[in-house]
Amino acid sequence: MLRIFALLVLLAFGFAQEITVLTHSSFSLDKGLIARFERETGLKLRFLKGGDAGETLNRAILTKAAPIADVIYGFDNTFLSRALEADIILPYRSREIQNLKATLLLDPTFRALPVDYGWVSLNYDRAYFKDRPLPKAPADLARPEYARLLVVENPATSSPGLAFLMATVARFGEDGYLDFWAKLRDGGVRVAKGWSEAYYTHFTPYKGDRPLVVSYTTSPAAEVYYSEGKYQEPPTGNLFPELAFFQVEFVGILKGTRNLEGARRVVDWLLSKPVQENIPTEMWMYPARRDARLPEVFRFAPEPLGSVRLDPKAMAQNRERWIEEWTKVVLQGQSPEAVRQGRR
Amino acid sequence: MAYGGFFVLLFLGLALFYPLFRILALGVGEGFAQALANPYYWERYLWSLEYGLLSALLTLSLALPLAFLFRRRFPFRGVFLALSTLPFVLPTPVVALGFLALLGPRGLLGVDLYGTKVLLLLAALFYNLGLALRILLPVALNLEGPLQAARVLGASSLRAFLRVGLPLLLPALGSAGLLVFVYAFSAFGVPLLLGGARYATLEVEVYTLLAYRLAFPEASALMLLEILTLGLAVALYLRLRPYPLPPGGLLPPPPWAYTLGLGAFFLLLFAPLWGLFLRLDLGALASAWASEDFTPLSVALENSLRFTLLALALALPLGIAYAAAARRSPLMDLLGLFPLMVSPVAVGLGYLLAYPNLRGSLPLLLAAYALLAYPLLARALLPALRSLSPSLLEAARVLGATPLRAFLRVEIPLVFPALQSGLALALAAILGEFGATLVLWRPEWTTLTLAIYERLGRPGEVPYKEALAIAALLALISGLLFYLLDRGRGRWG
Repeated sequence: MLRIFALLVLLAFGFAQEITVLTHSSFSLDKGLIARFERETGLKLRFLKGGDAGETLNRAILTKAAPIADVIYGFDNTFLSRALEADIILPYRSREIQNLKATLLLDPTFRALPVDYGWVSLNYDRAYFKDRPLPKAPADLARPEYARLLVVENPATSSPGLAFLMATVARFGEDGYLDFWAKLRDGGVRVAKGWSEAYYTHFTPYKGDRPLVVSYTTSPAAEVYYSEGKYQEPPTGNLFPELAFFQVEFVGILKGTRNLEGARRVVDWLLSKPVQENIPTEMWMYPARRDARLPEVFRFAPEPLGSVRLDPKAMAQNRERWIEEWTKVVLQGQSPEAVRQGRR
Repeated sequence: MAYGGFFVLLFLGLALFYPLFRILALGVGEGFAQALANPYYWERYLWSLEYGLLSALLTLSLALPLAFLFRRRFPFRGVFLALSTLPFVLPTPVVALGFLALLGPRGLLGVDLYGTKVLLLLAALFYNLGLALRILLPVALNLEGPLQAARVLGASSLRAFLRVGLPLLLPALGSAGLLVFVYAFSAFGVPLLLGGARYATLEVEVYTLLAYRLAFPEASALMLLEILTLGLAVALYLRLRPYPLPPGGLLPPPPWAYTLGLGAFFLLLFAPLWGLFLRLDLGALASAWASEDFTPLSVALENSLRFTLLALALALPLGIAYAAAARRSPLMDLLGLFPLMVSPVAVGLGYLLAYPNLRGSLPLLLAAYALLAYPLLARALLPALRSLSPSLLEAARVLGATPLRAFLRVEIPLVFPALQSGLALALAAILGEFGATLVLWRPEWTTLTLAIYERLGRPGEVPYKEALAIAALLALISGLLFYLLDRGRGRWG
């Protein structure tokens, strides 16, 4: 046991050329690309999956004193403030920054660099709504005839669930969002634990009973891509661009890395054209590079116009409270007034 | 023999207590008392208790008669026994899918039980029945002698069962009930998937506090509450006195109706899974095998088998050493159950603090698997070991055997059925990926279960069908392994 331990410690120090990248569990890239990078640089990449975006970041914050990785990828704008305030990331002005879309550069200190972005969005089942009317405005969702058709994810346990909650805050305001949710609750909205359950057990295309689901703007395109030619057109569609929630995923170099040069090369590589063009069909996000070409199937994933955004600082400050208030109203059945009074 | 106990303690110290201590040490501070004063957490706590107790009672009330039925030799006995442990290895989303397809809003049976306690308890029964059965069975097999004696002395069958059989079974009932209680009390996925967030257990709150909010004082308070509760349950169980029994064997075969009746029972119990096999798409299995979009099934299968073998090699000596030590020391008994009483996420975060250099390393992964698998092995072994007559060991010692030799050559062969059952449970815990929740995951480590989760994370028919196909394959492979294990070297009959 001890000998194995000693060997491992030796390995950990001996192979300084290994770069560890802490990622969220949705991370995925073409193996060929990874192998090519390793060949060309002589670096060895080791990916560690740390749960969803929030969990992954928290693991990095917790181990600040003895970092467990050189690079962290996947924390998004809802966690940006927490990442920056925790002071775990080194600034890096990558030469690739000039190639990135300027609107994504949310961190003026160049610690968190954008890798990709996307939107959490409502999806609907086209077959179900073929001869039934779709809701016309976000507020219509709260009407009982639509609320009982909708499945959302619990914001306390799911990142798309949290994004959708934030979208309602942005859309209906601090005062209105709880009323909206109270109506959804009374109308019979269903709350699932996470995205997989919502999509694969409650969404009508997969034998569920809810034709409206909180998912991503790219999901209809993915449906076509993963259908092996069965669908020429997506069986699902996006609804309400004005309720879509904008997410940017960042990469950063962790303080305490033993191989700063190597970590920088990994960041450059993630922002390079080949990787950026691989991201859409691997992780179903849009590449941050301006000159990255989108795959053909992304014509089914148009970027929503007029989507809502919140200030990263506001999100960091209020996230816990929103989740708490949402839980009180939707799960514990309290009235919005009572919850609002409790704020003071 | 003392070395065995030392080995277990050393392992626990490194793999559990030290990392846990690192997390609890962060929990000293404001918030600790606040958490305990929050009525919301007490609500979660009471519900966890209720779910744990009801699950244990329901499971035992069915496992007890089943254990008596399984004392006989009958056709397909091994198959049924293998089946009973299957649910343990299946990923919760797949099981939830099966349950809802049957009893959900658009379920086949036309009854919508989504969000009701009935469905949650059915799921608990589904998951834990095999566990309880496997712990009761080895002791039930030894009951025929005492029962016969009671009847010869004039007791009716019922009286013999109530006054002789039941008391002799009590330690095993306690062991099984305790485990079911522990698993249901700290259940994570099942209540959320089948009942929604209203049915979140305290464990869910601990997870949220630790993983999402880094609220260590609150989390520590709730974790201590969990440990205290489960510790109390163990202490209660430890008061049950074991009785030495002469080893028995299988009874002669019953009429065919027996097999038919049991067959019908398992058909019903496993109804949520039939959909999985009926919908099994061989094309999806083939496309999963060499998938380019996801971890190929070929790789996942190899990983699963490799990790299972390696983790068992560690869990087996640990489990046996723990069972041997716990037989004599109630303290060891309590300590050895700790891995099941502690929130996995806390231990996982503790690993990161305690052994930053070991993150993403194979030994840590294997230790995590073994940590959650060995208590199950030991739980199955203990009641049988305890019911062995001490005179056997004494005879071996008198004849000149060392304690270790006497243990390995006399006692272990006598409790072989229990060892097989324990191995099956440990195998189930490993195949069911209990350990994976503890460590940071590397993509190249993807196993069957994780390959299912990976696919269920992307929208589309192909990943969906592939996930279901892999789940069916996982069930098939696990069933086969359990069956082979139960047949063992023919000692069952």
